[in-house]
Amino acid sequence: MTNAKEKSGAKKRVVLLAGDAERRQLIEDHPEAFLVSESLPLRANLSVLENIAVVLQFRTNTYIGEANDTAWKLLTQVGQTGCAEQRDPDLTYEERFVAKLLRAIVLSPPIILIDRPAQLLPDTNYPFFLNRLLLALEGRFEQCWILDYAWNAALYTSRA
Amino acid sequence: MNALHAWLTLVGQGFSEWLDAWVRVSRFAMTALIGMLSPATYNKATRLVVQKQIYFTAWQILPGFCVFAALFSYLIIEIVGITARKYGLYEYALELIVRILVLEILPLMTALFVALRTGAAINTEVALMKIQNELDALQRIGIDPMRLELLPRVVGGTISVLALTAVNIVAALWLTHLAIVDFHPWTLTDGDFTRMIGKVLDIPVLLVLWAKTLAFGFAVTVIPISEGLSTPQKLFHAPISVLRGMVRLFFSLMLIEAAALAMVYV
Amino acid sequence: MERRSVHQPRIKHLAVKVGAVLTLIPVIAVGLLLYALYARGMFDSTQALTLNAPDAEGVVIGMPVMFSGFPIGQVSGMALDELGRVRIEVSVKKKDARWLRISSVFSLEKQFLGGAKIRAFSPRMQDPELPAGAERQLVSKDAAQDIPQVIARANSILQNVDEIIRPDSSFNQTLANLKSVTERMAGEYGVLGGVTGSPDQAKKVLDTVDSVNALLASLKGVTARADGVLAKTDDRMFGQGGVMDEAKRSIAQLNTILLEARDSLKKADEVLANA
Repeated sequence: MTNAKEKSGAKKRVVLLAGDAERRQLIEDHPEAFLVSESLPLRANLSVLENIAVVLQFRTNTYIGEANDTAWKLLTQVGQTGCAEQRDPDLTYEERFVAKLLRAIVLSPPIILIDRPAQLLPDTNYPFFLNRLLLALEGRFEQCWILDYAWNAALYTSRA
Repeated sequence: MNALHAWLTLVGQGFSEWLDAWVRVSRFAMTALIGMLSPATYNKATRLVVQKQIYFTAWQILPGFCVFAALFSYLIIEIVGITARKYGLYEYALELIVRILVLEILPLMTALFVALRTGAAINTEVALMKIQNELDALQRIGIDPMRLELLPRVVGGTISVLALTAVNIVAALWLTHLAIVDFHPWTLTDGDFTRMIGKVLDIPVLLVLWAKTLAFGFAVTVIPISEGLSTPQKLFHAPISVLRGMVRLFFSLMLIEAAALAMVYV
Repeated sequence: MERRSVHQPRIKHLAVKVGAVLTLIPVIAVGLLLYALYARGMFDSTQALTLNAPDAEGVVIGMPVMFSGFPIGQVSGMALDELGRVRIEVSVKKKDARWLRISSVFSLEKQFLGGAKIRAFSPRMQDPELPAGAERQLVSKDAAQDIPQVIARANSILQNVDEIIRPDSSFNQTLANLKSVTERMAGEYGVLGGVTGSPDQAKKVLDTVDSVNALLASLKGVTARADGVLAKTDDRMFGQGGVMDEAKRSIAQLNTILLEARDSLKKADEVLANA
């Protein structure tokens, strides 16, 4: 964490890790953080919209219509309304990632951890994609930490 | 000596595994029961899931299964009626039908049907949720999977078995009246029918009937879920999990049936 | 993607359908309970009736009390009194209580198959109605118990029939005697017409033959009556003043008549010898 690299203010942070053990330790140290990870899949029998809405609905006991509205607004904000009615197997990597991120963001948690974006977004120039996505969601979250390995550090600096 | 020792160890291990599984099932059953009865379980999200589960497990199969059960019941009623008439025991046919078909076969058949349809599906789904780590994902996002995913299934399955059994019983009683009294009005009257119902369906029998049906409904969902939850996180374990769940469920249903019979007749 | 589609629920009228399923269960459960209670006569107003019986075997609670094949009430309870007799509490439907009169008889009938039945029988419907809470005796009738008695009676009847048809029975001997006499008479009669020269004697002989004919007719009546006796029960046959007595008397009469006939024939012989 000492080698954490700060980008675009205090809200978004890229945390460069030396290895898997350090990554696990960091996740364990922040149980309050909402995790976006390959190992935490979407609920398979719900659509993207429902996956986002159900979190809000369950945690804040809002009406389904209201929760759907909020989820829809978030999807509009990131320009991904096309996948709202689709379920996990029909999604592209980017759509799946957006769904997972919005599922975490919908509750405005203190910290969001994006666990190894290279694994979540294998076909994307993910530093650029993440930057744009988090900018679009400005104000929806307190802190967002991107957990990536130190050997990928160049990807974040070489970006135009 | 060594072979015997090895064999005994194997048997002992098998037994303790078997016991562990039953302990797991009963522990989950207790948790589910408490969860189902505590109002804190239900919020707007879980209520919606409960509604969907009831729709899928009860409403969707209600017409089809009831038509099937009615045809089956009518067949049994006719067979019993014709045989009884042959031996001059027509008035006992009524009691036989009510006792065997209405009180025993229909609830058990309904439970087995829901077990095949919903129980197997739930076992597979929960096993896959467990294998894919979906349950952990929900937990991590602050959703209790027990409340959102598992308990609604228990509620839906229980209500499904109760509703299907209730409708089937009413249909079978009506068909019995139709076949025994209406189609052969010279043998038995309305009064005989009512008197027989009064004789067979006393309060303890009705209580045991509903308690049994409730236990069937509970078992039909709780055992597959508990089995699904204990699946190791490896994909090839999914079919093994379903197999075990179904076998365990079958024996549990038979056990409940035997216990209910013992309560009424012993 | 249209914004509106998000709000459309996947399942139409979900809440209504679920509500229907949820109301179905209690409605059926309560309905079944009410029907069972109604069937048990919970909602009929009843009046009590106590039946005393020496033995309650075959009586169960809920057993119907039948009147002319219709259930008018049922056994609601049973208890032993201090003398060890059984008191059977019966609740009779108010609207059917009018079929029970103070002269009504109650019987417990055990059947070969199935449960026993309590039957009420009212021989005199003009008697006053049975009051509520009355006590009556329950008469036990057991179809299975009656069988040995029936067989014993049938046996004694068959034995008597045997006695009658045995070759050395008095009845048979009488018939044999009669046969030889009539044979003899028939033979003699043919000779009689040709041989008797005196119309006086012949008339005497013919008179004798006429009286024998009359005798035969009365004998026929006796045998016909005896046939009837075979079909009837033994006490009617052998009781005081029964058919058998009459038959005996007839046979005694027959004997005296036969003696007379023999005398007449002897006379006829003498006539023939003198001729």
